Amino acid sequence: MVKIMEKIDKIKVENLSCFYGGKLALEALNINVVKNEILTIIGPANSGKTSFLRTLNRMNDFDANYARKGAVYLDDENIFYMNPEKLRKRVGMLFAMPIPLPMSIYENIVYAPKRLGLVSKKSDMDDIVKEALQEASLWNEVKDRLNSSAMKMSGGQQQRLCIARILAIKPEVILFDEPSSGLDPISTAKVEESMIELKKKYTIVLVTNNVKQASRVGDRTAFFLMGKLIEVGKTGEIFVSPKEKQTGDYITGRFG
Amino acid sequence: MFKLSPKLSQKIFYALLFMATLLVITPAAIIIYIIIKNGASAITWEFLTSMPKDGMRGGGIFPAIVGTLCIVLCAISLTLPIGVCAAIYLNEYAKDNLLTRIIKLAIVNLAGVPSVVYGLFGLGIFVMFMNFGVSIIAGALTLSIMELPVIITTARGALSGVPHSFREASMSLGVSRWQTIRHIVLPNALPGILTGAILSIARISGETAPILFTAAAFYVPHMPTSIYDQVMALPYHLYIISTQIPNMPKNIIFGTALVLLMMVLSMSLIAIVARIYFRKTRKW
Amino acid sequence: MKRKIIDFIIEKIIFLCGVLSIVFVVLIFCFLLKEGVSFFKDYDVFKFVFGKLWYPSSEPAQFGILALIVGSIYVTAGACLIAVPLGVAAALYISEIAPAGVRDVLKSCVELMAAVPSVVIGFVGMATLVPFVRELFDIPTGLTAFSGSIMLAFMAMPTIVTISEDAIRSVPWSYKEGALALGATRWQTIRRIVLKAAMPGIIAAIMLGIGRVIGETMAVMMITGNAAHIPSSIFEPVRTMTATIAAEMGETVRGGMHYKSLFAIGLVLFVITFSVNFIADLILGKKKRK
Repeated sequence: MVKIMEKIDKIKVENLSCFYGGKLALEALNINVVKNEILTIIGPANSGKTSFLRTLNRMNDFDANYARKGAVYLDDENIFYMNPEKLRKRVGMLFAMPIPLPMSIYENIVYAPKRLGLVSKKSDMDDIVKEALQEASLWNEVKDRLNSSAMKMSGGQQQRLCIARILAIKPEVILFDEPSSGLDPISTAKVEESMIELKKKYTIVLVTNNVKQASRVGDRTAFFLMGKLIEVGKTGEIFVSPKEKQTGDYITGRFG
Repeated sequence: MFKLSPKLSQKIFYALLFMATLLVITPAAIIIYIIIKNGASAITWEFLTSMPKDGMRGGGIFPAIVGTLCIVLCAISLTLPIGVCAAIYLNEYAKDNLLTRIIKLAIVNLAGVPSVVYGLFGLGIFVMFMNFGVSIIAGALTLSIMELPVIITTARGALSGVPHSFREASMSLGVSRWQTIRHIVLPNALPGILTGAILSIARISGETAPILFTAAAFYVPHMPTSIYDQVMALPYHLYIISTQIPNMPKNIIFGTALVLLMMVLSMSLIAIVARIYFRKTRKW
Repeated sequence: MKRKIIDFIIEKIIFLCGVLSIVFVVLIFCFLLKEGVSFFKDYDVFKFVFGKLWYPSSEPAQFGILALIVGSIYVTAGACLIAVPLGVAAALYISEIAPAGVRDVLKSCVELMAAVPSVVIGFVGMATLVPFVRELFDIPTGLTAFSGSIMLAFMAMPTIVTISEDAIRSVPWSYKEGALALGATRWQTIRRIVLKAAMPGIIAAIMLGIGRVIGETMAVMMITGNAAHIPSSIFEPVRTMTATIAAEMGETVRGGMHYKSLFAIGLVLFVITFSVNFIADLILGKKKRK
C-alpha cells in the first residue's frame, strides 16, 4: 500500500479566548494549521483575526491590557509555556506596513541571526543574506547595493526585505498580517508569488482584508466575525458553497 | 463705546505680542553685548593660562577653568549613565503602576529642588557624612544628582522618539528586549541623548550654589592632583571677584564672565545646532 | 547562556537606576529633616517661622525667618508680575504667529537664555541695573527687591515660554479650524479658543517658573542687598531664604545652631518647591490624561 503524505498539524489551537482590557476579542477558538499550507483568515474589522495572529507568536504579550485563556500547540508544545523569544524565532511575523530597520539592507538581514547567536563569521553572513534575499525574490534587484539604506527602497521591496529578514532566522511558521494593505497591485502580486513559493518550506497563516487575495493564495480559509470562528474549510469550497450565510454575505461583499 | 474692528484689533495685538517677544529676547542680547564689550579686552592667552596674582587683581583664571572642567566632567560621567538607564527603565520597561508614578513624581520634584538646597544636601552627606571634605568628588556628586532629572527627561524624549514599530519588528524576530534596546533603540536615540548631555554640561558649568560649600575654594595655588582636592571654579571665582574683593579691575571681572558665558553658550549652541541637524537627517 | 545572564544583570541595573530618583528625593528630604528637627528641638517652630528678627550670631541668637520669607515673596511676586505676561505673550507669538523659520530661531534663543548662568546674570545686574535703579529712583542703594525682581523675571522667562509654548502648540488643530470656519479672525481664535484650551498648561508653566524664582540663589544674593528686615516697599533691600543659606553657610560652626537653622530654612524651601512642583505636575498630568 502506498502511503500518502500524511497531513500533520503544525499548530493546534484549543479553546483560545483573548481579552483586551476585559473585553472579549476572541471567543473559544478551536482551529488547526496544517504543515506547509497557507491558511488565510478573513473577516471584517474587530473580528479578532489580528488578535489571533499576534497571539500565535505572543506579540500581544507586550500589551498590558491583553489577557488570554486556552492553549496553542506548536508541534505539540504549548506556546504559552515556551520562552517567547524562542517561540518568535520559530514563528516569524510580517506586519501590515513594511518596517525596515534604519540600517543597510545587509544589516537588516543579518541583524536577527547575529543577535540570536546563529552566525558570527562574515562568510556565513554573506551566505545567509544571499539565500534569504533569493528566497524572497529580491536578490536580483538589490545584490549590487546591499550596503545602501533599507529606508530608501520602494514599499514593495521593503516588504520583501522584511520577508527575507524572517527567512534568515529559519522559522517554521510565518504569520502575515495584511501584508499588502500598503502596497500597489504589482507589489502585492510579487508578495503573493513569494508566499506560494514559501509554503513549500514553511507553514503560513495569512490574515487579510482582501477576500480576493484569500481566494488566490489560500489552501484553506477561515472566516472570523466578532471574535468567533464562523467557518473554516478548503478555500475553493468556502468561496463556492459556504455553509454559513454570514460567510457568503461577507465574501460577496454584502457587508464588511 | 468705541469698538475696534476685528481686523484692526488683530493687528494691534499681534504687534503687542511681537513687542513682548522682543522684550523677552533683547535683555539676553544686551547682557551678552555688555559682557563682550567690557570683557573682550581682558581675554589674552596669558589670561586663560596663568595663575591669578595680586590677590586676584591680576594674572589669569587658569586654575578656575581647570577646576570647573574637572567638576563638570566628573559630574556628567556620573549622571549620564545613571540618567540614561533610568530613562530606559521608564520608557521601555516600566508598567503603568504606582511605582512608576512615584518615580515620575520624584523626578519632577528633584527638578524643582533649589540649587542651594542641593548645596546643603551635598555639604551634609558628601562633605561631612561620607567625609570627602570640600572636594571635586563632593561637588561632582552634588551636581550629578541635581542634573539627574534633566538628563532623564531629555533621554526619555530621545528614546520615545524612536518609532515603536522598530521595537516590534526586532522583537518579532525573537530578539530579546534588552538586545532590541541595545542594538536598535539606543543607537537611534543617541543623537538626542548626546545633545541633551551637552546642554546639561553647559548648564552645570555655570552652577554656583551647589558647589559653594562642596567643592569650590577661594584660592588654590596648585592644580588638583586627585578628586579629593578642593578646586577653584569659574562661576564661584566670578562671584568672589565681583562681590568680595574691593578695587577689582573691571575688565578682569568682565573677562571672567565672558569666558564663563562663552563656555556655556557655545556648548548650548553646539547642542542646539546638532539637534536641528540630526532632526533633518534622520532616517525615519 | 552567558548572554542571558548578562541581559538579566543589565535589566536589574536599569531597574535600580530607575528607582534611584526616589531614593534621592527621600534622602534629601530626610537629611534636611534630620538637621531641621534637631534645630526645632532647641528652637520653637512658631518662633522660627513667624519671628521677625534674624540675628543668628548675637547673644541670645534670634532665628526668625519671617523677614526672609517676606523677602522671597517680594522678589518672587515682582518677578512674576514682569515675567508672566511677557512670557505668555511671547509663547503665543512664537507658537501661533511667528513664521516657521523665525519660530525655530526664537525657540533656540529662548533655550540659550536659559543657559546663561545665574552668577553671570547677577554680576551684570550689579554692574549695570543696580546703579541705574539707584539714579532713576534717587534712592540710597540700587540693591533692592525691585532690581532683583527684574533680573529674576529674566531667569523665569525661558521656563514660562518653553512650557507655555508646548501647551499652546498641543491644542488640537480641529479646535482652531472650527472657530476659523465660523469667520473668526486668527486673533479672536487665539484669544477665545487657543488660550482657553491651553490654560492648564500655561498655569503649570507659570508655577514652574515661580518654583525656579523661589529657588534662585546667586543672582538674588548679588542684587537684592541682603538686609534681613521686613521691607516697606519694593525699593528697599531685602534678603531671601536662598541667599541667607548661601551667604551664611560659610561662616557657621558645623553642627552648631546657626548651621542647623540654615538646614531648617532649606527644609522650608524644599517643602515650598515640592508643593509648587507637585501641583504643577498634577495640572499637567490631568491635561494629558484627558
